[in-house]
Amino acid sequence: MLRRFRLEEPEHVSQVSELLSRFGDSAKIYAGGTELLLAMKEGLVQYERLINVKNLNCRDVTLENGALSIGALSTHRELETSKTIKEKLPALAKLEHNVANVRVRQVGTLGGNLCFAEPHADPGTLLIALGAKMIAEKSSSQRELDAEKFFVDAFETALEPDEVLTKIVIPVPGAAGRSAYLKFGYLERPSVGVGLAFNLNGQVSSMRIAVGCAGPAPRRVPEAEALLEGKSREEAERNLAQAGALAGRAAQAITDLHGSQDYKEHIVGILLKRAFLSALS
Amino acid sequence: MQFQKEVEIRASREKVWQFIWDVDRFIACVPGCKEAKTLEQGKRYTATMVEKVGPFKVEFPTNIEVLEREEMSRIKAQASGADNKIGSRMKIDLDVNLREQGDNTILGFVAGVNILGKLAALGHGIIKRKADQVLDEFAQAVKKQLEGDS
Repeated sequence: MLRRFRLEEPEHVSQVSELLSRFGDSAKIYAGGTELLLAMKEGLVQYERLINVKNLNCRDVTLENGALSIGALSTHRELETSKTIKEKLPALAKLEHNVANVRVRQVGTLGGNLCFAEPHADPGTLLIALGAKMIAEKSSSQRELDAEKFFVDAFETALEPDEVLTKIVIPVPGAAGRSAYLKFGYLERPSVGVGLAFNLNGQVSSMRIAVGCAGPAPRRVPEAEALLEGKSREEAERNLAQAGALAGRAAQAITDLHGSQDYKEHIVGILLKRAFLSALS
Repeated sequence: MQFQKEVEIRASREKVWQFIWDVDRFIACVPGCKEAKTLEQGKRYTATMVEKVGPFKVEFPTNIEVLEREEMSRIKAQASGADNKIGSRMKIDLDVNLREQGDNTILGFVAGVNILGKLAALGHGIIKRKADQVLDEFAQAVKKQLEGDS
């Protein structure tokens, strides 16, 4: 059962940040509530105050200086149906289309998903591969964090206690840009997710690969990227099995209900191969 | 969940053994452990274990009972506690052993940890990782304490 709590309804980021500073661990930001309220109902966490951030102006999807800027309060449903995202980053639109179910997508926000940092979540992995930046704000300042440095551990991000994630900025790939995200699982949440992004101009360049869900937090796997970087398409395809094996070992997979470490490492390899081929098609 | 850890300490076995029974110094090495009390010297103790994984916090008031004791070489203990706030229980069966290696001492632990209740919803993998971290930090802290004053 959900215990009683006080609901704060600030309208500006600075007010959210001040509330977080003032009430510390007894307060938590509440956006879509699809993760937080479940954990509260289960009695796993208790907060005296929830800070409803839905009144903040952080919901736009815009193109700014060759980058896609996504307001952190955009819901998965808004992102999956956004014309701009479908056109500029179809891999992200597809990922969002496959997040949980339509009821979750209707209210769950991208920012909430990233900040809760549930290890078996999808978006963080592709955002790392796409080289996204997270914009974190507090009362008096704003900073930019690389997506790959945003996720620290299971349920832990690099946000400071009084910081608010307001925006996610993703460089829009050029004409040679390719990207894909694939996941696999047999429970409600995925066991493994693999995201990749690269340019193909005769040869593979700016290769970025990230693995999620397998371990405590999504992570980039430069060991695997190096095997594909600078290679022709054919050479890269030949190296996929080796790159997949390296990515599996580097994924820090942990054994849990979603599969054993060995199993997850194996699936990483399979998904990497399929994601690369899917990005080419 | 089973955990095993060994740490080599540059100190005599006698010194390590004395350290283990010095509750205040020993508890200071256990991450998240506070308010340790001796109920019966060498047999029963209480302490509160506090741990955190992201937003999830647990606080286990814990009873520790020494079940077996072989002078200078082995301790078998059991710790159990419950966090009523989040409805979870834990039980730890701990085997501590000491052996000499030249002038140094090898301090070994085998711990069987059982977590029951809602906390288990976090997932076996996450809890195991956290427990591994705690054990690592503990081993390093013991090493530092004992080698620091040698």
